[in-house]
Amino acid sequence: MEVLRLHNLQKSFGSVRALKSASFTLDEGEVVALLGDNGAGKSTLIKAISGVFPVDRGDIYVRGQKVSIRSTRDAMDLGIETIHQDTSLAPDLSIARNLFLGREPVNLRWLGVFAPLDLAKLRDAAAALLKRVGISKKLDADALVSTLSGGERQSIAISRAMQFAAKVIILDEPTNNLGVEETHGVLRFVKEVRAAGHSVLLITHNIHHVFQVADRVIVMRRGEIVAEQTVADTDLLTVESIITGADMSALLKETRAK
Amino acid sequence: MTIAAEQEMPRSRRRSSLIRSPQFSSLVILIVLLAVFAIADANFLSPLNISNMMAFLPELGIIALGMTLLLTAGEFDLSVGAVFGLAPVVVMLLVQNGGFDIGIALLAGLLLCIAIGAVNGLIVTKIGISSFLVTLSMLLVVRGAALYITQGFPLKSWDQPGFFVTLLAGSFNIGTFRFYTSLWWFIGLSLLAIYVLHYAKLGNWISAIGSNRNAAVARGVPADAVKVWLFILTSVLAGLAGMISAFRISAASPVAGTGYELEVIAMVVVGGTALTGGRGTILGTIVGALMLRSIRNGIVLIGVPGLAYNIFVGVIILAMLILHALLQKNAARS
Repeated sequence: MEVLRLHNLQKSFGSVRALKSASFTLDEGEVVALLGDNGAGKSTLIKAISGVFPVDRGDIYVRGQKVSIRSTRDAMDLGIETIHQDTSLAPDLSIARNLFLGREPVNLRWLGVFAPLDLAKLRDAAAALLKRVGISKKLDADALVSTLSGGERQSIAISRAMQFAAKVIILDEPTNNLGVEETHGVLRFVKEVRAAGHSVLLITHNIHHVFQVADRVIVMRRGEIVAEQTVADTDLLTVESIITGADMSALLKETRAK
Repeated sequence: MTIAAEQEMPRSRRRSSLIRSPQFSSLVILIVLLAVFAIADANFLSPLNISNMMAFLPELGIIALGMTLLLTAGEFDLSVGAVFGLAPVVVMLLVQNGGFDIGIALLAGLLLCIAIGAVNGLIVTKIGISSFLVTLSMLLVVRGAALYITQGFPLKSWDQPGFFVTLLAGSFNIGTFRFYTSLWWFIGLSLLAIYVLHYAKLGNWISAIGSNRNAAVARGVPADAVKVWLFILTSVLAGLAGMISAFRISAASPVAGTGYELEVIAMVVVGGTALTGGRGTILGTIVGALMLRSIRNGIVLIGVPGLAYNIFVGVIILAMLILHALLQKNAARS
């Protein structure tokens, strides 16, 4: 079932056409990798989907409904959660407080921003969540995020996205700066996220990771989508050459002919 | 993604976190400091001297509460000392030269403080200039305005007893101690600040904004709006403190509060709030305010020459900060 569909998204910054045209769909429980060199338009695309800035032209559909995403809040309300490396968590806050940042459980709701946090509920919900996503015994919900490793932080950020029943989880370079073991941990986690029925849009530079977890790859170059294939139908070398933009047409035909 | 953590960890972590907390080392330093002054001069703990310290404490302490919240959100305000001077001067000019009712004049003063804070906040958040530069410029503008409209002369303050004077600068005796109502203001505002920073939803936002603004914004926290309101709050508290001071000494001077901005920031930082944002503690700030107040008071009592006064204050603050950093490092290691 289709969860997210982008139709002809365009975005320019001044005279720079960062996104010339992007159209693709994302199905339920699918991991799609978005690949491309620096400046290919990947981050412009995900920023448009996650509400950092509006697109100039084009439409976004969530579960078949045309939507307009004007803020990160809009995107979150539509079930689109974006996780950036290093920018997703506040290190000086506890795990529990981070998990519910912006959606804090409170008593006396009528007090607005002055409403007291429901600390017991916050802690219990956080512990339950950590347990549900399989990182229960290891982490204390009251521990500060600054005491966690990079991989643990990624897992917390991804768990948070899952908890709010996000339809689409966008992972922006989730394995950057992680050690080998931690990287495997995060990739395993991505598979669990898919198993739980969420769709994942994975942005990465590392093609090897793509082949470990993704169902489909989308390659961008100079603001356009230049290739879209299921992982089963392609291989590492082909994808790599598409990204770098070596003379592709000939090469592609050749590979497809095989 | 494996972490070696024993089952015992939460309990032991909780106990050591009390000792490791920045407020705790500040409290230790404060107690040592009080003991040293008390031993050096018997008058230090006399009712008269304590009353004296308690009269001054709230004036800077109230500003420090606002500054703590602002610093926790990752910004700071250098214009507080100037606002402390300008607010009472404007209020008194309106009453004495403009013939306005004191209540209306106070309202005008409040609106002026709100405006100054809003301008600070809007320039910092919307144009994206660092709060250091914005509020430094604002300091000059505000102080300059206070000097210009008074032509540099202090004004006689409102000295007729009345509702507002009692409200802001009334005094009462408890035994041989004489306290001002400003102490109640300080206690009340401290409790409110503790509640907001540590127990309310807003406090979670403030810490998150100072800790990682992008993360907070990505979660839908209105970071800019929160910062603007904190600038307004800090300005209003500075104005309130200025009024309290002017009423207490029955004079409004255009140079009142000179240098207060740095003393207030010192109080907040000595208390354990991070200058870089994200980690704030109101209890620490209260300890910090007590500490700076007792340093200023204590070194006069033990007979440091008047002109050498600031040397000692500076050296002691520096020593505090170093000791603080060492205690923290030690606690973190153990």
